[in-house]
Amino acid sequence: MATPNNGLITETNAQYYSGAQMFIADGGTTYASTFDTNLTFGSFDPTAPLYNSNNFKLYTSTTGGPSTFSEYVTSYTVIGNVITLPVALAVGTFVALQLKTETGGEFGARNAFGQVVQENYGEYSYIKIKDVINNFLVAYVGAGKLISSVSRTDVIFHAKRSLQEFSYDTLKSVHSQELNIPLNLSVPIPQDYVNYVQMSRIDEQGVKHIIYPTSLTTNPYEIPIQDNDGVPIQDNEGDNATGTSLTEERWAKDNSTLVDNARDNLTGLLLSEGLGFTGMYGDNYFGQRYGLQPETAQINGWFTINEREGKISFSSDLAGKLIVLEYISDGLGYDQDMKVPKMAEEAMYAYISHAIIASKINQPEYIVQRLRREKSAKLRNAKIRLSNIKLNEFVQIARGKSKWIKY
Amino acid sequence: MAINVNTVYQTVLMILNKEQRGYMTPTEFNKVATQVQLEIFEKYFDDLNQQLRVPQTDTDYADRQKNIDEKIAIFKTFGSAIFTQITNTLSYFVLPTNDGYGSAVSFYRLGSVIYKNEQTVERLDRRSFYQADYSNITKPTTTFPVYLYENEKLFLKPISIQSDIEVDYVRKPSNVIWGFGVGTLGQYLYNSLPYDPINQQTGSVQFELHESEQTEIILKILLYSGIIIRDPQIVQTAAALVQAEETNKKS
Repeated sequence: MATPNNGLITETNAQYYSGAQMFIADGGTTYASTFDTNLTFGSFDPTAPLYNSNNFKLYTSTTGGPSTFSEYVTSYTVIGNVITLPVALAVGTFVALQLKTETGGEFGARNAFGQVVQENYGEYSYIKIKDVINNFLVAYVGAGKLISSVSRTDVIFHAKRSLQEFSYDTLKSVHSQELNIPLNLSVPIPQDYVNYVQMSRIDEQGVKHIIYPTSLTTNPYEIPIQDNDGVPIQDNEGDNATGTSLTEERWAKDNSTLVDNARDNLTGLLLSEGLGFTGMYGDNYFGQRYGLQPETAQINGWFTINEREGKISFSSDLAGKLIVLEYISDGLGYDQDMKVPKMAEEAMYAYISHAIIASKINQPEYIVQRLRREKSAKLRNAKIRLSNIKLNEFVQIARGKSKWIKY
Repeated sequence: MAINVNTVYQTVLMILNKEQRGYMTPTEFNKVATQVQLEIFEKYFDDLNQQLRVPQTDTDYADRQKNIDEKIAIFKTFGSAIFTQITNTLSYFVLPTNDGYGSAVSFYRLGSVIYKNEQTVERLDRRSFYQADYSNITKPTTTFPVYLYENEKLFLKPISIQSDIEVDYVRKPSNVIWGFGVGTLGQYLYNSLPYDPINQQTGSVQFELHESEQTEIILKILLYSGIIIRDPQIVQTAAALVQAEETNKKS
């Protein structure tokens, strides 16, 4: 089981769990890494700044026994995933290639610290987009097949577009950031952000409390400075001069005292106009007569997306609090993001097939429609699979069915 | 594997001389033979294209696509393209003049271009070559590189690729030579030794086409020789036989 034998698994158990690959010197000077992770090489010299960009360490030992390995720091080079030593080691010498790991590894000073091994954990449940593209070209394109020929650039385009589309509504949201809300109540939108999934405040016990976007206020996109006639003033370059937003300033300063004052003022105003009695309209305005407004009936705080500043702004009661922002990206931000859960692999092939046939001229419409239906069916399957419904978990939740639900 | 040039020449002469129609000199034969070999060779590519659009049988020896591919395979070879840097922004790869088997060959038709022995490089025309850069999604990368083929040079993107480009291609068949010396009576004596420009200048170069082409080669040479000796009967008969064979191949 431990040795890869032409299956999809190409790493040994030691490579996967420990990030270690062992060689025995045979008189040659080259050692080829077979990790799924490509080697990153800066320098062989531990005193050089680039040494820290290595994602591995190299050790040698004459006996191979525990604690006999020492780091190899003679001027070796790395091209691709092949390490070339300046001189051949004695035949029979043990050579250990250790990817950086949280534990530091088992060789030398056990200081190969990093996350490289951990980042590879669980990768088997995904397929890389480049493999999807290559698989598609092998299996779906060629003489005698539905797609006799297609430009690989087109397949790349449709594969990446499908990854984007799947990221929005099919794939699991795996992006999240834990953030502290600063006193200015705003944090920048994450670099690969496309839309938020959920925002939560984390309390002292680590329990999350969902916070919601509010419609009570807004973030104006432009704030031109006006003259006395209300006309925007221009700066020396002819552009409208802009100021700071009073709306945001007032929202940031809002507190319960101001809320009470506003209610009293409104009630007082209505009474002074002879429009009712104490507590009537003003209290209704704040939801006290006809019950709570569900939208505002929570004390976890609010947030707004400030498109002008590219930030997420929070209500003042969240200052200094810990929040978790869960969001979706389009899956194309980083190379390591360009992967698809295997449970959605077939849906991606169907998407690409349909996209290619539908964009080709002179294709029979019944073929296009067949592929469209196939795409929809496979996408639905992928969504069901990825929704991760497990019967026993479902039953556990359903055990509460006998409870009375009160409104 | 090769078709013996002497067999072909003697067969042609035998047919031509049967009724004292005329004679074809070795020089005429060599030129016509080279012409016929190239003609048949070039036709393979069109035939293959035609057969790729026809459903084939899986039975051994009867799959026409495979049969044609087998005929082309004789000329398939590979080699490493050589990187040439002209300026910081202009660089290209030059096609190999020696193939991976160590022979000096004439380049005929480009096949696949491979990067680092594992990734095929996609061929684009000039317009698509530029357009690929316009879209961030389709921009060429070292994982999916592209090339433009112009003036017998390969222009690659991304330009960070400066080595490890291997090309698969089809080489041109060598010119056919029925090598000879002159005997004491002035007769032509066939020299079966392989031609060598330095050591064996009167040597022979055999037909390189597949053995199965022997009949067609003879018929086509007869067709041309009929024109040379101005005998319409030879031309008509040969043309009819070539046509019959062609029809049989594609029906």
